[in-house]
Amino acid sequence: MTKDDLIAKLKIIVAPYVQDEAAFKTLSEDTDFVSDLKINSANLVDIILDIEDEFDIRLENEDMEQMLDVKSAMAIVTAKLNG
Amino acid sequence: MVGNDIIDIELAKSQSNWTRARYLDKLFTKEEQEYIITATNPSIMVWALWSMKEAAYKLYTQLHPSRFYNPKSFNCKLQQPHQVIYKDFHCYVNTQITSDYILSEARLDNCDMNSMVIEFQTQASQSHSQILHEKLIDVMSNRSHYDRTPLVLQKDSFGIPKIKYGQEEINISLSHHGRFGSYTFI
Repeated sequence: MTKDDLIAKLKIIVAPYVQDEAAFKTLSEDTDFVSDLKINSANLVDIILDIEDEFDIRLENEDMEQMLDVKSAMAIVTAKLNG
Repeated sequence: MVGNDIIDIELAKSQSNWTRARYLDKLFTKEEQEYIITATNPSIMVWALWSMKEAAYKLYTQLHPSRFYNPKSFNCKLQQPHQVIYKDFHCYVNTQITSDYILSEARLDNCDMNSMVIEFQTQASQSHSQILHEKLIDVMSNRSHYDRTPLVLQKDSFGIPKIKYGQEEINISLSHHGRFGSYTFI
């Protein structure tokens, strides 16, 4: 999967939880789920569960620790898929 | 130092479905899941525990500036007085539950809750954080020992807020969700 494919998939996953539509439109690797997209911290776990379902992977507590931005989510998913 | 967290119960119901598969297991320890399952109102217990964890996390990151997402590692203990434990850190948490909101406040010492609650008059949630900042500064400015020098709200690179008063830094905590906001300072 290319970087662009991965970003596109993540964009679909986070869409239902986004509270800042302007930041969502310009979503990039540097976008932060909480400070940019204003996603509620209780919904971060929904994103994690949706990522698990979409990519058929399981994320441990340690994987979740840095799941606060697009870049980290991409790194974790890529590592799991290649693991 | 102080950390607080407020949850609009009605909004939490529509924003989150805690009954979805694996949800509870991602956020709560076995002991906490037991509190939830055996609670008279499991939904309220979910959000009470969540607000305790959030308040404790905010206090922890004031002591250890950082940013991470690991709610399950913040263990809530519901024996009186309520405590949250994370690694070698522990704090006391007061939680207030009304029919509209759940409010938790975490402190290093066991003391009474200090957080104030406001109900927003506007639906526009983008403005809520600003309204809350202004309210906090307004209330603090009215304390006699804070006159003349301006109070300025600043956030560090981890997003942890503080009030600067001349050379002095005052620890605060802010939280808003749905119709409600809460602020506290010591």
